[in-house]
Amino acid sequence: MTPRANGIWVIILSFLVAYLLEIVPFPEWAMHYRPAWVAMVLIYWVMAIPYRVGIATAWFAGAFLDILEGSLLGMNALTFALLAYITLSLHQRLRMFSALQQSGMILALVGLSMMLSYWIKIGLEESSEGSLLFLLGALSSAFIWPWLFVMLRHLRRGFDVH
Amino acid sequence: MFADRRYDYLDRFRFTVAYLSTPIYWVADIPTRVSLWIDDVFVSQRDLIEENAQLRQELLFAQRELQLLAGLASENSRLRDLQAASQTVQGRAVTAEIINVSNDPGARRVLINRGAHNGVFEGQAVLDAHGLMGQVVEVLPFTSWVLLITDSRHGTPVQVNRNGERAIARGSRSDVAGLELEFVPDTADIVVGDLLVSSGLGQRFPKDYPVAEVTSVVHDPGQAFAVIRARPLAQMDRTRHVMLVIPDDEVISSVPVPDDFLGAGPGELPVTEEMSEPTDSTNEGNDIEAERDTVPDDNVLLVRDADEQEPDMPAAGQESADTETDETVMPEEDGPGPGEDLP
Repeated sequence: MTPRANGIWVIILSFLVAYLLEIVPFPEWAMHYRPAWVAMVLIYWVMAIPYRVGIATAWFAGAFLDILEGSLLGMNALTFALLAYITLSLHQRLRMFSALQQSGMILALVGLSMMLSYWIKIGLEESSEGSLLFLLGALSSAFIWPWLFVMLRHLRRGFDVH
Repeated sequence: MFADRRYDYLDRFRFTVAYLSTPIYWVADIPTRVSLWIDDVFVSQRDLIEENAQLRQELLFAQRELQLLAGLASENSRLRDLQAASQTVQGRAVTAEIINVSNDPGARRVLINRGAHNGVFEGQAVLDAHGLMGQVVEVLPFTSWVLLITDSRHGTPVQVNRNGERAIARGSRSDVAGLELEFVPDTADIVVGDLLVSSGLGQRFPKDYPVAEVTSVVHDPGQAFAVIRARPLAQMDRTRHVMLVIPDDEVISSVPVPDDFLGAGPGELPVTEEMSEPTDSTNEGNDIEAERDTVPDDNVLLVRDADEQEPDMPAAGQESADTETDETVMPEEDGPGPGEDLP
């Protein structure tokens, strides 16, 4: 039996904060280091409560990010849906991982999603070909993940989200 | 994604959802506003007095130049009348503030705090106090995205202020923000320090706004074209206040110009470079002295062409007036601008 939905506002709030962090202006030199906040929050929720946050949620979260960033509608939606799918299929294993292993997975997942949106943008000539420095964002995401994970878990347990 | 590129109906969806996303931007902007507020509140009296004195002085200089400009403008308009030349795009401006910067390192876009509810439209030119900045590419209810001229997908039609040499300035493809002049032959007379102004060809940007200053000219014998780099005059990464130009549609007249004006030699028209013809929208921009200082709204101000740029222009080479006569100006339409359809 599926447990009764609880604490949906915690999920929404965490996403809202992630959106905020995603668009907070960064100085020019730090542009490439911006962690993929929304993607990480999404991965956490998919991992923690896969029966509630799934591919559909990921799609809408991504579409909203597209509108927020003014990027092509559906680009982030597609990459997030893919992220959610991979996380869904791995979530049992991910939960068992140590913090370091999880960070490694985040590096791979966020890197993949960034690479994918980069390809899409290049393919559709939405952006110019540049250096691959943007992948540094995946690195900073992996670095931040352990803290984010602990924080979100506290939130989830404290507010009994399931 | 592909639907978004091809069709328009998703724009409306985007527009609607943007009502939801605006508060997020508003919240994200709070730290900046707080710091600005702190700057405003905690400022010493001495600083204020100093700033006040400096502003007074600047105003004095500006007013002196304005006086000169009135005479020049009327002279200019008479000459243009004789020449049956097409008109410059002047227009008024509305101020706006940059509230966010695109977090995509590959694109140079900024978000401003004016949107459809403030009358912003796609393709509108954006300036700051020093020069041309970019154009509006996406209009949302209360905000709009502006593509800067330094974006590598953006091309700005420019001309050299000294001699009227025309080129297209494209955003630099490297990580350093800058402009590159494309397809300029090696023989073109462009030297370091030349001021590039918008040429108004392409109907997207108003004419004669300062765009950039040439910083390096490299003639590589192995390449067909000269490699020319320029530094945009607009302070892309420092300024917060920008201006949106509202073009006066009436000013854009469609006077067919005979071809012989194309090759008019130097000295034929002793007109200054500035070409600034502040016009109000009712008359065709030919008699202009009286109404040029009327400010229609306290939020709307008249934009003068490059007032501050005038002193450092070379006094020689005043023959640039003949170069823009070949633009047979069409009524403004929403065709793809020069900005986006570059290869």
